Amino acid sequence: LQPPEKPLQAEEWNRLRENFQLPEIFEEVMLNSMIRCNSHIDVAKSLLTHMAKRNGDVAYNMLVKYLTLCVQQGQVSEILDVYDIMKARFKILEIGAYNLLIKGLSNSDQWRMALTILEEAKKIMIPSRTGYESCIKAASRHQETKLAFELYNEMLAKNVVPTLDVLQSFFDFSKGMKGAELQKELFGILLYLRENQIYPHETFMRSIKLWFESIPGGNWRGHLTNIKDSGQCPVCNHQLEDSDLTEEEYNNLSERIIRDVIHGTDTFRKTSPQEFEAFQTFVENRLPFDIVIDGLNVSHIKPRRMQCENLLDAINCLAKENARLLVLGRKHMLTNSANWKREIMKEMQSKADFFFAENISEDDTFLLYATLRSGKHCKFVTRDFLRDHKACLSDSLTRHLFRKWQRGHQTALFLSGEGRRIKFAPAFRYDCVVQTTGDTWHIPYKDVFEEKYSYQVPRKWLCIQQK
Amino acid sequence: MQSANMLLKKIVRSSVLPFAAQHGMKKDLFPLSRTLSLSLCLKQDNSCKPSEKLDLDAWKKVMKSGLPEEVSETVPEPQELSSLAAARQTLEMWRLAGRSVPENMSEEQMKTFMECPSKSAKKKYLRFLYLKELYRKNDKRKMEEKRERKLEEREQPSKPEETKKSPFVCLWASTMDKAYNWRAAQSMIFGQPLIFDMSFEKEMSAREVANTVKQLALSEGCNRRSADPFHIHFCNLKDDSLYHKEFVKQYREAWGKLLITVTDRCYTEVFPKDKLVYLTADSPKVMKTFDHDKIYIVGSMVDKSIKRGVSLARAKRLGLETAALPLEKYLLWNTGAKNLTLDQMMHILLTLKDTADWKKALEFVPKRKYCGFVNKPVNELRKTLDLMNTLKFGKRQQEVQKEPAKNYPKK
Repeated sequence: LQPPEKPLQAEEWNRLRENFQLPEIFEEVMLNSMIRCNSHIDVAKSLLTHMAKRNGDVAYNMLVKYLTLCVQQGQVSEILDVYDIMKARFKILEIGAYNLLIKGLSNSDQWRMALTILEEAKKIMIPSRTGYESCIKAASRHQETKLAFELYNEMLAKNVVPTLDVLQSFFDFSKGMKGAELQKELFGILLYLRENQIYPHETFMRSIKLWFESIPGGNWRGHLTNIKDSGQCPVCNHQLEDSDLTEEEYNNLSERIIRDVIHGTDTFRKTSPQEFEAFQTFVENRLPFDIVIDGLNVSHIKPRRMQCENLLDAINCLAKENARLLVLGRKHMLTNSANWKREIMKEMQSKADFFFAENISEDDTFLLYATLRSGKHCKFVTRDFLRDHKACLSDSLTRHLFRKWQRGHQTALFLSGEGRRIKFAPAFRYDCVVQTTGDTWHIPYKDVFEEKYSYQVPRKWLCIQQK
Repeated sequence: MQSANMLLKKIVRSSVLPFAAQHGMKKDLFPLSRTLSLSLCLKQDNSCKPSEKLDLDAWKKVMKSGLPEEVSETVPEPQELSSLAAARQTLEMWRLAGRSVPENMSEEQMKTFMECPSKSAKKKYLRFLYLKELYRKNDKRKMEEKRERKLEEREQPSKPEETKKSPFVCLWASTMDKAYNWRAAQSMIFGQPLIFDMSFEKEMSAREVANTVKQLALSEGCNRRSADPFHIHFCNLKDDSLYHKEFVKQYREAWGKLLITVTDRCYTEVFPKDKLVYLTADSPKVMKTFDHDKIYIVGSMVDKSIKRGVSLARAKRLGLETAALPLEKYLLWNTGAKNLTLDQMMHILLTLKDTADWKKALEFVPKRKYCGFVNKPVNELRKTLDLMNTLKFGKRQQEVQKEPAKNYPKK
């Protein structure tokens, strides 16, 4: 349905309506297509007039659609008119209309009105993040930094996750401004990124860099760089934080893994109490290990080869330098079969400790437990991303701890080269989060167009130092 | 033609003919002849005459004038709304905005709505109620239509009725009920037991429990109607549980008269352990044949958020044998989880008991979940399957070798 180009008379609307196959929803469809085609507002007005004359009323959803059109075109006076009409007609509005009003008014010189509407919306529901976003941007655009931060903190208090755009706008609008208070707030945002393991994208990173460099008398200089594998920044030679957890975090995490991942709602779901106990005594008697290997995961790396040979290759690669290995597997590996030859199993068992779980138990959970029990130096080898185990942890704080620990301790293996040799991607030596020492900041960022999965960490960094 | 018209229109408008107008013309049909014959007295280039000029803001006047006077007087004193009333108002506004919101909601439903932990939970619950209301309305409408049709038929002069001669009194429903009950009663003495494990209340939401009970009622119904019913046991059913409440809601008075065994004891206390087999889709063992001497256990659980291994854990804890239906073996699986509804399980088990024919039994698996039936057991097809796999694999191998060659030059 193509909306007309000019305002129409009542008869003309009537004619169009009758020609439409479903006359009862004609107005709705027409307004929708006007929104889609961004028609001139007068055309919509003429339709509303036609409706008002026909029914003596314009339905609420039609008003909302008209409002959408006005917001889309930034027709401030119309938005205000519609708001007046709505307020007179209805005691309260619903959140969709409030959001539209906020969005429409925050971009105009009537932006304070948007704030009052936000207050009104709060009475019925927690406003959406975009509602907050518009208001915060409007406030910072008009140099009301304090107000903007108040709104931002209120948003965090209500557990509304701010968009990266909002965070970026703070840096954009604070450029060249002085004030210890402001600086503290912006550092607070950077720490928020750190705590939630959020990585800014490239344009956001540029805003951060420009803001730092614009602080009057701050003498900050920013450089884009790649961090060496050793964790040293090539620009300032600063050594980045390592990904070790503190004693307390470490204990907390291992406790939670046992409680939430291994036991969960029912210990029998992943293992059985007897088996877990047997595993615990097994581990305690042989501690500490240097590398814990997920035997079944590793054995599948080359699909065309016998599984036990794959595992043997991996063990041979890792067994150098007297490292103590623990291989986790399942009992079916012990029965002599096409994929698991008894002699090769014997050979492997002389090189590493093995624990065989029941065939229906989950060996991954044992992997986590054994690695955590062995201490901070212990690494584990698997290609699994362990997402399902992370999901078992109930709160986001522990999940972040888990991700941090995983980054620092997981060695992934992959095939490379013509001969398809098994290679190991060592765990990160440094922690990939926003970090500071007071006179330096290191901020990892991602390219805008780079596809990034949750388990990947960016390799590009912004190094900021004070001269 | 149209573009020529447009061009002409432009020329006409752009002051070559200052008096040009499009009075009463449609934009697509700019009649050449009339343009040329335009007289000087035609008006300026507005689309309509002053007298009938559109007042674009007329709707605002209508909207404002339509307001009842008293309302504007009472509005100034804002009353503190109770949260319930406020929620009702919000719902009303959502309904006006065209969202899926039911028209009527009971106090209890309002309470559940307000207790929803998140915005999306609220939305989902409202949509659920809205659809329920819609279905109910449609049913009601259909019933009324049917009733009217019947009335019409009755009003039509009917032919003089022939006296029906039949040796039987027409008592179908109740006679059938009696026959079914007789069979069910017999099964309670001689029938093979079938256990429903009612210990999953903690793993389910209230709605899932309600769904479970509905499925159980269906299963009980189809069991009763079968030629050789099971002796159904509801084990672990506590008296004050949600399950129990839902059963009473579902069956009303009939709950006390059902020909099944209900107990709060565990099946391991009632039956010898070595005869029990727990049926669960997570089981590593696959059922080969239906054993008439075994006692099968079905977990009474609907898990909309797939909870893996819950019933397997139950069986592991008690050290019971487990089994899964051989769905992979007989069906070419398409989509969907392998856990079936309780009434489907019931149909399958009943058919197996009567015929031992897997093909017939697995007819009750929803058609959307599989593509077809494997005629022979898979191990007989293994050779062909292997051949197909190697063919596929060989192909894939070639593709893999080709792909890098395609990709690298681009980079």
